[in-house]
Amino acid sequence: MTLSNEIYQALEAIVGKRNISRNLGVRESYRNVPAQSSAHYGPSEHWTPLPQAVVLPGNTEEVQGVIRICNKYGIEFKASTTFWSTMGYIGGDFAIQMDTRRMKSVTIDQKNMTAIIEPFAIGATVQAEAMKYGLNLNIPGVGCSSSTLANFSSWAAFGPNSISMGAGSENMLGVEWVLPSGEVMRTGSWGAGDGWFCGEGPGPSQRGLLRGIFGAAGTFGVCTKMAVRLHPWPGPKVLPTYGTVPAYKANLGDNFKCYTLCFPNWEAWARSTQYFYECDVLYTGHRQFNMFGRDLKAFMLKIITNPDAQLGDLPKLMEDPYLQEQNKSMKLEYQVIIAGITERDMAYKEAAVDYILKETGGWKNEMMLEKDMHDFALLYLTRLGHKNLNYVMCGAYEGTFGLTGNVWKAIEVAEEAAGMKKHWEQTYTHIAATGGDSSMGGVSSIGGGGSTGWEFFTNFDAYDKESVRGTAKFVDGNQQMHNKYAFGPDFCRWNSDVRHMDGYSYTQEEHNEMFSKAPQPWVFAYQYKIREAINPNNLCGTYVRTLDPSTLEKA
Amino acid sequence: MALKDYRPMMERCSNCAGCKFIPFDKVQSLRFAENCPSIGYYNFMTYSARGRFQLSQSLLDGRAEMDETVTDLIHSCTSCGYCDIGCKVTRYNLDVLDHNIEQKAYAVENGKILPGQKPIMDNLAKENSMIPGTKKANRMDWAEGLNMKDLLKEQGEVAFFAGCKYSYTPKLQEVARAAVKLLQGAGVELGTLGAADNCCTGRAKQMGFFQEFEKGANNNIKAFKAAGVKTIVTPCSDCYHSFKRQYAKLGLDVKVLHVVEYIDQLIQEGKLTFTKEVPMTVTYHDPCHLGRLGEDYTPWEGKEKKIFNQIHTWEPRKPRYNGAYGIYDAPRNILKAIPGVKLIEMERIREYSWCCGAGANCQDSNPEFSAWTAGERVTEANATGADVLVTACPWCKDNFDNAVGEDGKTITVLDIIDLVQQAL
Repeated sequence: MTLSNEIYQALEAIVGKRNISRNLGVRESYRNVPAQSSAHYGPSEHWTPLPQAVVLPGNTEEVQGVIRICNKYGIEFKASTTFWSTMGYIGGDFAIQMDTRRMKSVTIDQKNMTAIIEPFAIGATVQAEAMKYGLNLNIPGVGCSSSTLANFSSWAAFGPNSISMGAGSENMLGVEWVLPSGEVMRTGSWGAGDGWFCGEGPGPSQRGLLRGIFGAAGTFGVCTKMAVRLHPWPGPKVLPTYGTVPAYKANLGDNFKCYTLCFPNWEAWARSTQYFYECDVLYTGHRQFNMFGRDLKAFMLKIITNPDAQLGDLPKLMEDPYLQEQNKSMKLEYQVIIAGITERDMAYKEAAVDYILKETGGWKNEMMLEKDMHDFALLYLTRLGHKNLNYVMCGAYEGTFGLTGNVWKAIEVAEEAAGMKKHWEQTYTHIAATGGDSSMGGVSSIGGGGSTGWEFFTNFDAYDKESVRGTAKFVDGNQQMHNKYAFGPDFCRWNSDVRHMDGYSYTQEEHNEMFSKAPQPWVFAYQYKIREAINPNNLCGTYVRTLDPSTLEKA
Repeated sequence: MALKDYRPMMERCSNCAGCKFIPFDKVQSLRFAENCPSIGYYNFMTYSARGRFQLSQSLLDGRAEMDETVTDLIHSCTSCGYCDIGCKVTRYNLDVLDHNIEQKAYAVENGKILPGQKPIMDNLAKENSMIPGTKKANRMDWAEGLNMKDLLKEQGEVAFFAGCKYSYTPKLQEVARAAVKLLQGAGVELGTLGAADNCCTGRAKQMGFFQEFEKGANNNIKAFKAAGVKTIVTPCSDCYHSFKRQYAKLGLDVKVLHVVEYIDQLIQEGKLTFTKEVPMTVTYHDPCHLGRLGEDYTPWEGKEKKIFNQIHTWEPRKPRYNGAYGIYDAPRNILKAIPGVKLIEMERIREYSWCCGAGANCQDSNPEFSAWTAGERVTEANATGADVLVTACPWCKDNFDNAVGEDGKTITVLDIIDLVQQAL
């Protein structure tokens, strides 16, 4: 089935000739091989389907017009922003791709501490605009290169600052939302005609319908505008960066400190997080640089902070006794930023950190106190502008072992998971040998603390098909371990849940089959009913995890 | 390398968006956060470096066709090289700019060029100049009476190379003359290739016309060698890049200096002092080929080597051109040395400077795109509150001049040599 001229012209009439294309070369660039930007979507080496056309709407009305045409002719559609994630691409053949690149505005409402944003406003631009007013936002762990609106509406969106600012579900306020039917819905206070400041309005929680805890991954239509909660920023209006590319750094003044806190064992590690959950002194808390792996992190930090260093310098650096000592020192660690509003506030926070270290037998890593290293880590965690170092070692990575939940539960399995990964690193050559433990993620994935959100960085080479296939087998191994602990689908299976290995979406029946075996299947049955109401014809994909309740009733 | 040799890079791109924005750490505002003119103007992802990688895979696999739209989009790239720098902030093994140019060469090999490119290349073949309508016979008119050695007739160590734009554009010819006089005044003995002075052909390379580039470059290298030249001085940033990076690959082994480096050196040595105050607030535009693409060339031959199972490295160590050591400070040192001049920086500077839009001859082949790109920069310059936009490249200056006056853009555009001249 191909798009007729009549349909194409109807779409063209909405967005204008300049903003639509059905040229084959253009459409081909709107396909994706999941292995190339993997991260939770499975190391699959196949291309996603070819869209019938690519349209670039410029506002809510144009999005609405496009969706109405799709409804009229039964065309699937998918909207995406930066296109990093596989879930932003279409999953069937008779489908059009919406690219929201033209919609990128950011308006700061200083008084109500909110930013009203459009889909293509990325974390970096929202933050830069907010900082001018002494405000900041939660930039999720994916980094500032991705869309704030997409993160907050469609995904978990927790990150380094979530301990002080909360995650996506806590920061999404009023939303302008074009439903899969083409109807425009306005949620929260915006829907009640009272402005953007509040996520909830009269009646049932529309925020809950739209995103729940993990987001509907773009399955429930297109959010065209959103207000997001902003938080105090006690720093300068513009990040004062310095240093030679690529090792940019920032000196934010005496009221900002970035530490790498290290602990003698997992129990002390976990206990320290409990203290931080209670005393509310962290601006940022994240286990960041362990993404390079337990064996490599200190050495990798030396490479990425030196403009002249290269990955090939690793073996030589690993002979350095000082760095060896530092790497050992930060075996079980996480990074924190404390930010003081006043000198007294800063002194209190410094004292609290020292007290917690004393109580848990922890220490500050010495190398990470060096000025260059400190200022690099401080900028890294504040802007998350270097987040794509995720890919620096091999070009691709897969997030495995999604240890999202209670910190004590997470540390129980952390070493077993690390051991399993190390076994694969040593027995096969498909994934990078970084030292087993490569778990990274938030000290808390919710505001105030209480839940971790980790993933193991499993680095592989998307160009090397043996590496891709071997990583897929490793993913199978992970899933077995997840089954053992009733963790449900592993991070790296989330794509497998919604797409076949050939890049096409699963059917509802196939969803049912998989999710009926999940630990809490009624959650997916609930989501099924929501999807049935909001997206009855599955016109915008099937990424949301659902389960037909009748399947469970029969069981 | 052929296009197919870039396959590992195409498949290792992780679509991080680094090629589309200035380094994320450097973002100061929504307005000036992006940094790829091509996707900036055309909006479809295909126009970004990421999209171009995807397109190449599709072309090589026989899915996409080299039709009119694809031909146009391949050539709608100024080869400014920012995508390469943005990528290298977090990646160590992708040469994005080289791929983009190779993709253009692939189109050219298949006879797919733009109508606007034909007169440029015809003029290069016939008159040895990349500016349509210009004649070889008039190339050295600008240098009349400057008392420079004719290096074809007598040996000389320092060659002054004006390049096509300075040689033929009347308002820029005076600037080139001023540069020569300035250096001569400081005691530098300059020569030119005279009748053998031809286009550096660097822009042909940027456009994907590799054969034409190599032919021109090899002829010029032969002429420089025959003349015994040890140093080439040029006021043109494009020529500078050609000699320093592209000719070096073909065996030219001489010192290459942009005029700003020479002037900066003269100031540091006390051989050039400014006597007049120039009360002016200026902002400086880093030309792509002087800045991020102005790094020294280091020969390399080797292969990929994986360590720790899958980590990519190179054996031997491969030079990494990430813009760190381009020519950024010399022009700023000059501006700071001029009494009365106050320098205000734009948001996109140094290795992440926005392109002027004239690269790869887009000025002639894609005039609307090129004009939009220049207009964006003039808007950014206006936003600083500066009176004058200073640059060190004739192509940039010319394109900015054309953009001034559009949509209320009123800034004065000056070549840095002009400004130096005013202070002497």
